[in-house]
Amino acid sequence: MNNRLKVLRAEHNWSQADLADQLGVSRQTVNALETGRYDPSLPLAFRIAKVFGQPIESIFTED
Amino acid sequence: MNGSVKPKRPLGLAGFAATIGITMLVGGLAGAGSAIFGDQPGAVGLAITVVLIAAAFAVGFAACIWWWRGIDEAAREAHKWAWWWGGSGGMAVGGVVLLTVMIRADTQPLPASVGTSPADIFVSGMLALVLFQLAGYALAWAGWWLKHR
Repeated sequence: MNNRLKVLRAEHNWSQADLADQLGVSRQTVNALETGRYDPSLPLAFRIAKVFGQPIESIFTED
Repeated sequence: MNGSVKPKRPLGLAGFAATIGITMLVGGLAGAGSAIFGDQPGAVGLAITVVLIAAAFAVGFAACIWWWRGIDEAAREAHKWAWWWGGSGGMAVGGVVLLTVMIRADTQPLPASVGTSPADIFVSGMLALVLFQLAGYALAWAGWWLKHR
C-alpha cells in the first residue's frame, strides 16, 4: 500500500515526533508508515485521516 | 472509536524497564518469602509457597497487560512476529541441539555445569530451551524493526 504521509506531514511542517504525538504512536511507527513498510490498522488509518482532515482513500492507495 | 480524546503517548523503553523491574522485584520477594516462610514441613509450607508464587504471577501478568495495552500497534506486531517466528524457531533449534547432545551423552560427557542427577539435567535442559527461545525472540524482534525502518 502506498501513502502520502510524508508529503502531508511536510505540508503541515510537522516532525515525525509531532505526528506520532497526535496519533498516539511511537516515532518509529510513523517512520515505518511513511516508508510504506508497515500498513496501519483501520482505527489508526482513521486517526491519520482525521489528523490531516482528509478521507482515507486520498492518503492511502493500492500498489 | 472515540476520536475526540487526545491519544496517549505509547510506552517506550521506560515502560518496558518498569514492567521487567516490577516483575523481577515481585518474583524475588515471592522467592525469598517462600524460602523463609514456606520452608517448613507439611501442607502449611506448601500452601505458603503456592500462595506467594501465585501472587507473584498475578502481579507479573498485571504488569505485562498494563505494558501491552500501553504500546502501539506496530510494537505489538513486532512482538507477535518475534514470539511466533523467533520464539518457536529458537525452541525448535534448541530442541534439536538438546536432543543431539543427549543422544551423544554416552560417548561425549556432559559439561559439569549441567549437573549429574536427572533433576539437574532436566532443569538445565529446560533453561537451555528458554535461552534459545529468548535468543530467537530477540533476533526476530530486532529483525522486524530493521525490516520496517
